Amino acid sequence: MAVFMDLNITYTTDKKRLRSVIETAAHLGYSTVAINYVVDLQQKKQEIGKPKCVLELFDTFPIVQGKSRPIKVLNRLTVVASDPSHFAACMTFDVDIICVAVTEKQPFFFKRSPVNGAIERGVFFEISYTPAIRDSTMRRYTIANAISLMETCKGKNVIVTSGAEKPLELRGPYDIANLVLLFGLSEGDGKAAISTNCRAVHLHGEMRKTALGIVHSMKNEQPLTERQEEEDVPASKRAKIEMAQ
Amino acid sequence: MIHHGSRNIFSSRHRHVLSEMVRLKSRYLLCEVCVSDRSNLLLLDDRAIYTAAKAAVARAHGDYGAALSSLGFSVKYLNAHTGIVFLRCRKSHYRLIWSALPFITSLENRGQRVPCFLNCLHVGGTIRTCQKFLVRYNTQQLHRMLPLCQSEAERSEIRQSVLSCTLQKEADDGDEEEEYE
Repeated sequence: MAVFMDLNITYTTDKKRLRSVIETAAHLGYSTVAINYVVDLQQKKQEIGKPKCVLELFDTFPIVQGKSRPIKVLNRLTVVASDPSHFAACMTFDVDIICVAVTEKQPFFFKRSPVNGAIERGVFFEISYTPAIRDSTMRRYTIANAISLMETCKGKNVIVTSGAEKPLELRGPYDIANLVLLFGLSEGDGKAAISTNCRAVHLHGEMRKTALGIVHSMKNEQPLTERQEEEDVPASKRAKIEMAQ
Repeated sequence: MIHHGSRNIFSSRHRHVLSEMVRLKSRYLLCEVCVSDRSNLLLLDDRAIYTAAKAAVARAHGDYGAALSSLGFSVKYLNAHTGIVFLRCRKSHYRLIWSALPFITSLENRGQRVPCFLNCLHVGGTIRTCQKFLVRYNTQQLHRMLPLCQSEAERSEIRQSVLSCTLQKEADDGDEEEEYE
């Protein structure tokens, strides 16, 4: 069985709900999840919420269904772009994922040149499926946006994630792989969208943090500096730009 | 002569009819109903799942979906204690029905709405393959529950059930797969 990852679990201050979402994800078979902190720079005086250390959530992480290892929890940062310049975002921004906002019908079509540039750089496009589950109009926009994205990128470099706030909004990995057939992905691309592409995103994030994989930061064993090190070691942050309207 | 000829014609026609028999293949979707509150599971019955699935397919795929789901789609088995359900569809369009299952958000039974979702565990061509998968899956579940045990008695109970997990040979394999047109 491949490693399935769900890279978008909305952060809530309600710890119990977050914990139940992660437990449900482990039950469904996801080996890794990422808690998403959203920052909207357009609002004034928005503090960047400090990502909580994942060890605070659980004493022992729940075991993944079908495997013997516990689930791995990562942290992730989303930045809402103030000026949705599609071309700039794809070509220049130092990000790992570009979120395709599914809440509105996009007035523009994805142009092939920035999309191909992003694919070459290793940036992935993300489609979220929970709005489609919640509401019927959202479903139409999600499918429309997803299909237009697939036409331009030919199914490469796409990941599919939930945006789950409640544990009942998650879906199993095989269900999602089947659902993306509706988005125009082929079977192989669909399975890749939830397994190998997600892993590639994770590695891309690691690569940015460690200067192309050359430098690794190790946790310092000395008790004096331990508290300092804990702040940057457990979190694996990836920034992404959301195509805001 | 004529009598002999007619017998020949009859036998060739009979052979022709036999070669035309078509096998209706099905797919069995093995799904698990996940609820937030386990006591709600006992309220479910197969009619609730059937109507919810048909409604979801009709919402997602319109009249075409509704027409397809009226062909050979049924709920074969539901275990209210574990939440396991077998759905049977035609092989030609089981993917369409399967793609509409994630959109189910709640099940309704006798006026009560239970928020839940269906998680598809396995797709098999026969009930027997699904049963074999189910045995392996349940064994895995027991292994997962083992570290969470509070007392030694529970632990030994679980160990016993794991060791005794086998697929019994059932005499009534009549509810199996094949149908002939």
